[in-house]
Amino acid sequence: MVVSITVDKTLRATFNVLKQAALVAAVLLHGSLFAEPMESAQDLMERMAKASRELNYTGVFTYEHRGNLASAKLIHEVRDGKTYERLLHMDGMQRDVVNRSDNLDCLRTGDMLLRGHAYKINDENYSRLQDFYEFHIKGDGRIANRHVSMVHVLPKDKYRYGYVLAIDKQSGLMLQSVLMSHAGKPLERFQFVDISIGGALSEMDSQMQGSEIDHIDQADCLQLNRKMLSSQSMWQLNWLPPGFVLASYQSPDANGQESMMFTDGLAVFSVFIDSVKGEALPSVDAKLGATVAVLTKADINGHQYAICVVGEIPRGTANQVASAIGISP
Amino acid sequence: MSDHKERLEQSLSALMDGEATEMETHRLLKAVAEDPKLRDRWKRYHMASATIKGDPVATSVDYSVAISAAIDQEPAHRSGGLAVFAGSAGRFAIAASVALVAVFGVQQLNTPSSNGLINGGNGMSEFASAQAPAENTGPAIQFPSGFQPVINARTVSAGGNNKSSQRTIPVLEVQQVPQQQVKAQYSEAELRAYLNNIMTKHSNHAALNSNQGMLPFARLSEIGGKSAGEALSDKE
Repeated sequence: MVVSITVDKTLRATFNVLKQAALVAAVLLHGSLFAEPMESAQDLMERMAKASRELNYTGVFTYEHRGNLASAKLIHEVRDGKTYERLLHMDGMQRDVVNRSDNLDCLRTGDMLLRGHAYKINDENYSRLQDFYEFHIKGDGRIANRHVSMVHVLPKDKYRYGYVLAIDKQSGLMLQSVLMSHAGKPLERFQFVDISIGGALSEMDSQMQGSEIDHIDQADCLQLNRKMLSSQSMWQLNWLPPGFVLASYQSPDANGQESMMFTDGLAVFSVFIDSVKGEALPSVDAKLGATVAVLTKADINGHQYAICVVGEIPRGTANQVASAIGISP
Repeated sequence: MSDHKERLEQSLSALMDGEATEMETHRLLKAVAEDPKLRDRWKRYHMASATIKGDPVATSVDYSVAISAAIDQEPAHRSGGLAVFAGSAGRFAIAASVALVAVFGVQQLNTPSSNGLINGGNGMSEFASAQAPAENTGPAIQFPSGFQPVINARTVSAGGNNKSSQRTIPVLEVQQVPQQQVKAQYSEAELRAYLNNIMTKHSNHAALNSNQGMLPFARLSEIGGKSAGEALSDKE
């Protein structure tokens, strides 16, 4: 621009033509950019659910709650129909590296719900994510130097929390997830600070070779003609927050502990029932970050059981679940 | 009367455009303090302009009441001549309007609203000063890690102070409670170990059944080791 003042007229004319061309190009480009957000929030969620499993990526993310910050490195790779994941805590005390492997085609309840499939609870009732959350695309942002769509996920009732998600425009990966209280306060935040997506991960191979890999149990995998899981437990929940369905059940282990896990597609809570430790534990409510744990006791035929409800759910929900646990008739 | 109102609204538009005179600004500020309708209008203007600019918009928190209360408490400016007074009042008025605008610009996220989220995004400074959620009043900074148990109402009346059925007791205090709780058959370490174990298993569950993949494992970064709370209580 400054130069153009000093140059002769013809050059200036050329410059003006160029400027107009640039303007037209910018408008056209902008038009094509506008086409992108036409993707509905629902589509975006589905793409997100797929991307996190099916892509290769490696990155560093932070976890933040109430002024505390932790960071971890995550590697995710798909090879021969299997996913390989590795998580390394980057700060604090030295902790075990988590290495795990799963079948790519093993979809679980949470995947199903997130992908927008209706989940059959029984013959008459279906559980669908959009019945319990509202999804709003709230413009664009930048996370880990990538362009993201911001999505606000609002709960339709008081039984679950909301989320602010940032989803990578290109890949569909979730780069930020903030759990929001009903008062609109952030309870915890996951956020990638650096991520590389796609391509082969040679680093992964060398790091994972020789390390022990935890192969995930495939028992909870769902077929596409999914059916409600039913537990063989003697325990039953007389009340569940609407939208939550049983996602897995572990029968009593050597320590007399059995567990059930429930999800609505986004939020997850677990119920643990201990037949041995019942007498040794007090009734407490505990909280770690956004996770609440409600520990209660049940006296069944003179035997004390400890019942613990743990999850990233409001305390009221956890309490209500805890008090609704009883013995199947 | 309506004429006066109309003029005020015009002044308000002018102020929004940055074209109000000092006198107008002064009159407007005074009127805004007394007239909630005008204040609402001002707020709507700000929200509209924030929306246009793509700034975060909050709807339900009204800082202006608190601000005008704070302004009321300020000692009155005293000065000799009327001219000097007008001058300083003018400056003050402008300063106040700047403060008001600044507050409108800044509010985000922490606004309680019927809708829940207002703006997530990147304005997360909330975390640093995060107030404990209503149901959890345990201190945030002193006990950075580990569960913070809330003992259910079995506190014995020894000390007095048993005012409610449920009290939040930070990790540290739990150790002092058992002396009063004759029936307690557990140790805090045991309880903590149990909760941490359960938390680990839950994270495993969550990592398989939420949209977050392995992210829930990061929640574990603070348990399983000696937390600050424990280290402290060891010394006692």
